[in-house]
Amino acid sequence: MAHSTQTLEKGAAKAAPAAAVYSIRRPRSATAKKMFPYLLVGPAVLYLLAITLYPGLFAMYQSLFVVKFVNWSWAGLGNYTRIVQDREFWAALANTAIIGGLSLCLQTIIAMTVAFYCYRDPFVRGWRIVFLMPMLFMPSAVAFIWKLAFNDGRVISDLLMAIGLVSNNVDWLSSVWLARLTLIVADVWQWTPFLFIIFVGALQGQDEEIEEAARLDGASWGDIFWNISLPMMRPIIVVAVTLRGIDITTMFTNVYIMTQGTPGGATETMSYFIYRQGFRMFNFGYASAASVLMLLITIVIAQTIVKRAFKSGKS
Amino acid sequence: MASILLKNVVKSFGTFVGVQDMNLDVVDEEFLVLLGPSGCGKTTTMRMIAGLEHPTEGEIRIGDALMNDIDARDRDVAMVFQGYALYPNMSIYENIRFPLRMRQVPKAKHDDLIRRAAEMVELGPFLDRKPGALSGGQRQRAALARAIVRQPQVFLMDEPLSNLDAKLRASMRVQIKHMQRELKVTTVYVTHDQIEAMTLADRIVIMNKGVIQQIGTPDDIYSNPANTFVAGFIGSPPMNLIAGTAQSGTFSSAGVRVPCPANLSGNITLGIRPEDCQIGGDNLQGQVYGVEPTGDITYLTVRTANKNIEIKAGREFRAPIDSAISVGFDTSRLYFFGEDGSRVGVN
Ligand SMILES: Nc1ncnc2c1ncn2[C@@H]1O[C@H](COP(=O)(O)OP(=O)(O)O)[C@@H](O)[C@H]1O
Ligand SMILES: [Mg+2]
Repeated sequence: MAHSTQTLEKGAAKAAPAAAVYSIRRPRSATAKKMFPYLLVGPAVLYLLAITLYPGLFAMYQSLFVVKFVNWSWAGLGNYTRIVQDREFWAALANTAIIGGLSLCLQTIIAMTVAFYCYRDPFVRGWRIVFLMPMLFMPSAVAFIWKLAFNDGRVISDLLMAIGLVSNNVDWLSSVWLARLTLIVADVWQWTPFLFIIFVGALQGQDEEIEEAARLDGASWGDIFWNISLPMMRPIIVVAVTLRGIDITTMFTNVYIMTQGTPGGATETMSYFIYRQGFRMFNFGYASAASVLMLLITIVIAQTIVKRAFKSGKS
Repeated sequence: MASILLKNVVKSFGTFVGVQDMNLDVVDEEFLVLLGPSGCGKTTTMRMIAGLEHPTEGEIRIGDALMNDIDARDRDVAMVFQGYALYPNMSIYENIRFPLRMRQVPKAKHDDLIRRAAEMVELGPFLDRKPGALSGGQRQRAALARAIVRQPQVFLMDEPLSNLDAKLRASMRVQIKHMQRELKVTTVYVTHDQIEAMTLADRIVIMNKGVIQQIGTPDDIYSNPANTFVAGFIGSPPMNLIAGTAQSGTFSSAGVRVPCPANLSGNITLGIRPEDCQIGGDNLQGQVYGVEPTGDITYLTVRTANKNIEIKAGREFRAPIDSAISVGFDTSRLYFFGEDGSRVGVN
């Protein structure tokens, strides 16, 4: 007994200096301990609140006024009633849906197809990060590159002429659909990799044994994709596409730099409409009201999609 | 229903050779078990038969057709994976139906076939559930049902019972054997469990480090092990292997003395099964090292100068530890192995 106590004490004596060496913590009061995590995340939270929540609330407040610089006059819901009668607002909404919807469909399909063809490829496994390159460019730089390629530098036209698809220079801003197409191409180019990376990751996480079992059951790769991979990836697809969708609905940079809403407003997205109202025509209250409406529409759509996708995924 | 033939099959992974020059002939309707320790190349062999792995050299035939360049989906083999590999997004019913759909079996026949397969593995009540809502044993049976539903030419099973508890394993074993007899489908079954191998197999293939050690019926493997590896692998506890020397008709080692064929000499290993030893006799002298009663049998460990010998003694046998003991061997059941480990001294 005495013997064992002695060894215990010896052990403790040995442990104590070790603890003193390795512990970087100093004794603290219970309150300080509790506050510490909040202290760590505090700056980030404050920053995020300052750049998102405050402007959001400010916009909601401002949307209730007619604002001419420093003159604010109370308008109640006047801005909103004017907006719902504004054909330009509805046109912008439709343009956003058309351009964004097509772009989103296209990038989802491309990303999924490419991901499914190459997810077991060793190169893709090791180097999938390089596919992120287009996302790393500054959005305005990308917009200028495409503006150059389509409109100013006529690179695309030249290429099309070289392969004999067209005989004259194409004026991309002359037609509604060509102008929209340039925006779609730019967005697809920059953001397909984002979806690709997510889809490849999901596919690589798929159990290889299950694929082999399906092969032995007689399934082709197409069968495996439609029957097994796609249903299993469903939640991931929903989340990724929703995130992308939210991002696309706020498409601004490309419009601002490449088309500025031409021709005839056919490429004016919601963000550009809001920008034009606010910073060209200085109807700040009106622009704020449009932003608030846009926010509501986005939230409702995203919420419905996500809710529905996950509900049926569970059963 | 078909035979399987492997001819000089080699599989290397880079410089590592997983399977070495394998020759194997699985007869039609046979239940063949690949048995060996972990990492000996059993799974690799089976995956080559399935077409999930391509042999580096050699030929694989199913029926009479050369399979080397035939895709896995066109080989008409069904495989039960160790992890079951059920499709998590489909109900058990849809899981079992999947091979029928993929192989364009007429829709009208599906329901009947599925219910019959489910019946056979006693899975009837669970058809509507997703795999996630089943126990290990039920998942195992669902995987079996999916394999049998389309009457393939060949069944491949890779340690299908290793994730189940002992009791379930025993009952599934009987079920699998019964099913195979009923369906008469050529079956290759992989396991590292010798009891499974002994009870299921028509023939056992024992492998070690990618090389076949012996092929034979369970009785054959048990009573005529070809080398020390097989002798030391089969039986529980396995055969005692005692290194010693033979000279003019006598094998001797520390504390051990038995007659041996007169033509043996030099370094020889003696093999004797624990059940072929009895208490009292003059073949082995040693001390009692341990006594383990299990109810129907008592395991006795005897210590000699250079080895512990396992003996199965009668159920009532007891002895104090370290007491001296003499043991007799059934001299008609002695095995001798040469320096390279292979059996010697057989007429
Ligand atoms: N794809 C592979 N690449 C490299 N080595 C492998 C691969 N597959 C199996 N091996 C090796 O081949 C040997 C045999 O493997 P396996 O057939 O799975 O053994 P078993 O099923 O008998 O346990 C093991 O040593 C394993 O590490
Ligand atoms: Mg294995």
